[in-house]
Amino acid sequence: MAVVPGMSELTAPFWEAARAGRLVVQECQSCRQSWHPPLPRCPHCHAAGLGWRPVSGEGTVYTYTVVRHPTHHAFADEVPYVVALVALAEGPRLVTALLGVAPDEVRVGQPVRAVFRDVAAGVALPYFEPDAGRAAAQRGSLGGLWPAR
Amino acid sequence: MIRRAAAIVGIGQTAYGKALPSSAWELALEAVLAACADAGVDVAEVDGMCRFTAPFETVTEAQLVRGLGIRELSWFTQAAHGGEALGAVVLHAAAAVSAGLASTVVVYRALSQSRGGRFGRADGRGPGGGGPDGGQPEGGQPEGDIVVPEQDNLSFAWPFGLMSPGQLFALWARRYAAVHGLSDEDLTVALGTIAVTQRRYANGNPDAMMRSRTMSLDDYRAARVISEPLRLFDLCLENDGACAFVVTTADRARALRPDPVYVLSATQTISPYREPMGIYAGGELLELFPPAAADRLFAQAGVGRADIDVAEFYDATSYMPLRSLESYGFVPDGRAWRYVTEQGTGPGSPLPVNTHGGHLSEAYLHGMNGILEAVRQLRGTAANQVPDAEVALVGAPAGSATILAR
Ligand SMILES: [Zn+2]
Repeated sequence: MAVVPGMSELTAPFWEAARAGRLVVQECQSCRQSWHPPLPRCPHCHAAGLGWRPVSGEGTVYTYTVVRHPTHHAFADEVPYVVALVALAEGPRLVTALLGVAPDEVRVGQPVRAVFRDVAAGVALPYFEPDAGRAAAQRGSLGGLWPAR
Repeated sequence: MIRRAAAIVGIGQTAYGKALPSSAWELALEAVLAACADAGVDVAEVDGMCRFTAPFETVTEAQLVRGLGIRELSWFTQAAHGGEALGAVVLHAAAAVSAGLASTVVVYRALSQSRGGRFGRADGRGPGGGGPDGGQPEGGQPEGDIVVPEQDNLSFAWPFGLMSPGQLFALWARRYAAVHGLSDEDLTVALGTIAVTQRRYANGNPDAMMRSRTMSLDDYRAARVISEPLRLFDLCLENDGACAFVVTTADRARALRPDPVYVLSATQTISPYREPMGIYAGGELLELFPPAAADRLFAQAGVGRADIDVAEFYDATSYMPLRSLESYGFVPDGRAWRYVTEQGTGPGSPLPVNTHGGHLSEAYLHGMNGILEAVRQLRGTAANQVPDAEVALVGAPAGSATILAR
């Protein structure tokens, strides 16, 4: 049993891209701003002509929580798991879960990259895992990107 | 201008308990009758009602009118967002009596989490079975995938296991610690101080569910982690119970009793992504409460921060009163953790907070029990009375609040 997203004309392109291993966000064809989750019109210039823009899949952990007590039976066997808000390099933030990292090693500001996992027949979700290459580069820079802890 | 045009003249509540024998409907009737008796008004005279929208309030006006033999309501409405509409229900009631749409307005909140599903369980599982989200009884065998509806962007959060308020507020608390440079220990001591202080208040409040359960900071630390960084005692109680209060015009209030509690101001607010439990904001997530809404609250009341004698902050988690000290302007941003650790929120502190024990230790009534506590403080009848309390603030973290005064 999995918890899968309901889809509509508005949101299906996001999930269909995920199934194909791509991360996309909605983009205004007029003013080129993008956001997430999707909206019926551009909230900036009110244009109705919207498209979907592929993003790099690179992001940083904006905040996170290690869930140790499941509040839904579907996740009873998953704890502990790490829910995160990830800020994409392109701007928008999304809710996701982190894979491939020990709960005690997650940090706000940590570089992560998208990975896709099938959770049910025909449904894949975008998760994120640590991006070791960018983490090393970040440590070698002047610092200050990782908030103090 | 709402200021001093309307007043709260009656408060009523049921017992609070983990699993009461009464339905939410029965609890609502009991609380409304108690509030009307306290106000000295015949329940048949009630001509207005205001409540939260479903699923936060499931008992309807029609059920109360029918169940209490109320002749007719000439005005009734609902406020969206549940506890985040804490000030909104006061605002609407005060506006209605000021405009002459009704003269005796009852505001109520009744819930039976033991029968109707637990807010802390995304699948609604409780001792009584299925909840508002279509949950299944405990022990029932789940079958098939769960398809999350698109409403309020849940479909972008639930599949990743982000499903309950406690988890959402854990995200906020972690962000707060990171932005302001708190160590895990700093955060633990700050949140623990709030939880322990509220428990002490509850120990002095005979109506509190935790009246006889003491808790030390060591007890707090030893409790299991629910959703890091939040532990068991950072989260509110789950319970059954009901609260109600009666709002009328200032003139009628003075005729009814010598100690009406006046509404100085009440606010509601919504702006893009500054939604209750909204998490997709551009900019800094921590700025959930628009500073303009706090300034409006005080400007309309005609009082300043220093005039507030006691605050009852909505506390689904201990993080919320911490952040509310900042978002309502009592403490600069990023300082509340140190303020709470050093000065506290207990008796004799600069601003006593959640003097009934709050949702953490009195009971969870979507903030309505905080309004009742503020009324008791301003009447001088609270169990943990703040000496000479004249002005009180009751507020939710996302921007709906009220300032009350005697
Ligand atoms: Zn646009």
